[in-house]
Amino acid sequence: MGLAHQLTPFAALLPLGVAFLMLALSHWLPPRSADVTSLVVSLGLVVLCGWLAIESLHGPILHWFGAWTPEVSGKPDVMLGIAFSVDPASAAVAAFCALLFAGSFVFAWGYFDKVHAHFHILMLLFLAAMIGFCLTRDLFNLFVWFELMGIAAFALTAYPLGKSSLEGAFNFTVTNALGSFLMLAGVGLLYARTGTLDFVTMGRVIASVPPDPVIAGGFCLLATALLTKAAIVPFHMWLSDAHAVAPSPVSVIFSGVMVSLGLFGLLKLIAMVFAGDAQVMMLVHVVLFWLGVATAVVGGLMAWAQRHLKRLLAFSTIAHLGVMLIAIASVSAIGTEGFLVYLVGHGLVKGTLFMIAGILLARFNSVDELELYGEGRSLWPAGIAMGLAGLLLGGLPWGLLHDATDSVHAGNHGVAGVVAIIVGTALTGAAVLRATGRIFLRWSGVPAVELVAPTEREREKGNRPLWLMLLPCVVMLAIALLPADLAESFLHSAASGLVARVVPHEGGGTLAAAITFALTILIPAASLLRRRPIRKFARRAVEAETAPFYALHVLHSGRVTDYVVWMMVGLAVLAGWLKFG
Amino acid sequence: MNVLAWCVAAWLLGVGIYGIVTSRHYVHLIGCMTVCQSATYVLLLGIGFRWGAGAPIFYDHPPGTPAVDPVMQALVLTDIVVSASMTALLLAIALQVHKRRCTLDPQHLRPLRPRE
Repeated sequence: MGLAHQLTPFAALLPLGVAFLMLALSHWLPPRSADVTSLVVSLGLVVLCGWLAIESLHGPILHWFGAWTPEVSGKPDVMLGIAFSVDPASAAVAAFCALLFAGSFVFAWGYFDKVHAHFHILMLLFLAAMIGFCLTRDLFNLFVWFELMGIAAFALTAYPLGKSSLEGAFNFTVTNALGSFLMLAGVGLLYARTGTLDFVTMGRVIASVPPDPVIAGGFCLLATALLTKAAIVPFHMWLSDAHAVAPSPVSVIFSGVMVSLGLFGLLKLIAMVFAGDAQVMMLVHVVLFWLGVATAVVGGLMAWAQRHLKRLLAFSTIAHLGVMLIAIASVSAIGTEGFLVYLVGHGLVKGTLFMIAGILLARFNSVDELELYGEGRSLWPAGIAMGLAGLLLGGLPWGLLHDATDSVHAGNHGVAGVVAIIVGTALTGAAVLRATGRIFLRWSGVPAVELVAPTEREREKGNRPLWLMLLPCVVMLAIALLPADLAESFLHSAASGLVARVVPHEGGGTLAAAITFALTILIPAASLLRRRPIRKFARRAVEAETAPFYALHVLHSGRVTDYVVWMMVGLAVLAGWLKFG
Repeated sequence: MNVLAWCVAAWLLGVGIYGIVTSRHYVHLIGCMTVCQSATYVLLLGIGFRWGAGAPIFYDHPPGTPAVDPVMQALVLTDIVVSASMTALLLAIALQVHKRRCTLDPQHLRPLRPRE
C-alpha cells in the first residue's frame, strides 16, 4: 500500500510536468521527440493507472496532498485537505483514457509538424485533467479538473483555424463554459449546506439532514454541467458541431472518452455524495432515465440522417451516451458494471471509427459519404475495419459492447429503456454500415434524408503511411472484441465499490440483442436497395418518412443562442420536476 | 443580507442568460457570459460572508479572530483565473471568425451548412 499511496499523485503530475517541460523546450526539441515523449508518457500512465486499479482492490488508496489528513484539524467533521482517492473503477477509467490517448498519438504521428509541440502539450494537459477528474475526492478539485479539461478541449477544437472548426469551437466553449458556471454555483450551494467539499464527508452530512431544497438545487446545477459535458438531450447540441469539426485525432478523444467521462463524474457524485438523499435519487431514477431514453432515440435518428461521416459519428456518440445514462439511472451494481464496460467498449469502437474518418479525410479531403461513393476501394483494409466497427456498434453479439449492453438490459426496468436501447444502437450501427457500403463497396441506394444534411469539404494533412494510421485501429478493435468475462471479478468489485445496490436482474436481454442486430443489418440493406420513388403513393410515403428528420435538422440549428435556450429548458425540467414532480 | 446576495446572484444569472440568448454579436455574447460568471462570484462570496468578521488574513491578527470563510474566497480566486483564460480564448476565436466570415452575428454563423 505504501508505494501505491506515494505514486498516486504522479498519475496527474507526470503528464502535467512533461507538458510544461515540452512547452519550455518546444523551440529546441528535435522534430519527432514530442511524438515519442507523449506516446511514452501515455503508455506509462496506462501501466501506472492499471497497477493502481489492481492495488486498490484491497481498499481505496487515499493520498492527502501536503499530508493535510483529516486528523490535522483536530475536529472530526472539519476537512482541511484535498485527497485523491483511488478505487478500482476510477483508476481503470483513468487507465483507459491514457490508452486512448496513446492510440491517438500513434494515429497523429507527424500530423502536427508545423506547430512545434503545441498539439502534444494541449493533449497532455487534457489527459492530466481527465486523470485528475477520475481520481479526485474533492468537489472543488473536481471542478478545477473539469475546467482544465474544458479549456484544453476548446483550444484543441479551434486548432485547425478553419471556418467551421472556429464556429464549432465557439459553440462548444460557450455552452460548456456556461455549464461550468452553473457547476460552480452548485458547488457553492452544497458547501453552504454541508460545510465541506470532501465527497465522503459531504455524503455523510447529506444522508443525515432532512430533505433540503438547497441540496437538491445544488444537484440540479451540478447535473446540468455534467450532462452538458456528456451531451444528453436537451444539452447535447454542441457535440455534433464540435466533434464534426475538430481534427480527427482530437475527435477520437472527444467521442471516445471525454463525453463519457462527464457521465462517469455524475455517477461518482450520485454514488458517493447524493446516495442518502431520497429526493435526488428519485430524480435520478425518473428524470435521468427519461433523458437517457430521449437521448438514445434522438441520437440514433439524427445519426441515420447524416452524410458527413464525422457528424454522423458525433450523433452516434450521443445515442450511446443515452444508453449509458439509462445504465446509470438504474443506480444498481449490475447497471454500473454495464456502464463501465460500455464506456470502454464504446470508446474503443468510436475511437476506431473516428480514425477511419481521419484516414478518409487524409486521402480524399472529404468525409462525405455521398461524395466518397466508391472511392474507398483502394483502402479496403480501412473498409474492413469500418464494417467491423459498425457491426460492433450496432450490437454484433460478440465483444465488450455486447456484454455491456446485456448488463444494461439486466439492470434496466422499463420497456421504454429497452426500446430506446434497441433504436439507438440499431440506427447508429445501421448508419455506419450504410456509409461503409457506399464508400467501400459502391453499394448505392437513392439517398433520402441524408441528402439535405449539413456537410463541408475539409482538409487534413495526408502524407502519413496507411499502416501507421491503421495500426491503432486494429489494436483497439482487437481489444473491443475481447469478452468482458475476462475481467469479471475485477468488474464486480469495481462496480460494487461505487454502487452496492443489488436489483433483481431483468431477463430478455438476448431477445433484445437479437432484434437489435437484425435491425442493424436490415435497415441499411433496405436503404441501399432503395430506388427513386416514381409513383405518387411512393413519393407520399417518402415525404412522410423524411418529415420528422427535417424537423430534427431544423432544431439542430447550429446557432449557439438556441443551444443556450435548450440548456435552460433542460435545467428547468430538472428543477421543475423536483418542485412539482 | 444573505437573501439579498442570493437574489442579486439569481438576477445577474438571469440577465446574463437573457443577454446570451438574444445576442447578435459574439463580443456582446462573451460580455454576457462574464455577467453570468459574476453571478457565481456574488453567490460564493454571499455564502462565505459573516457579519462583523474581517478578511481571513491572520498575520497581524491572533488566530481565532472572526473571519469570513477563506474556502469560498479561494474558490472565487481560482475561478477568476480560469474565467480570464476562457474569455481570452473566446475573444481570440471571435477574432479569427471575423477574419474568415466577416461577421460576428451568431444568427448567421453555423459550423456546417446544408448543401444547396
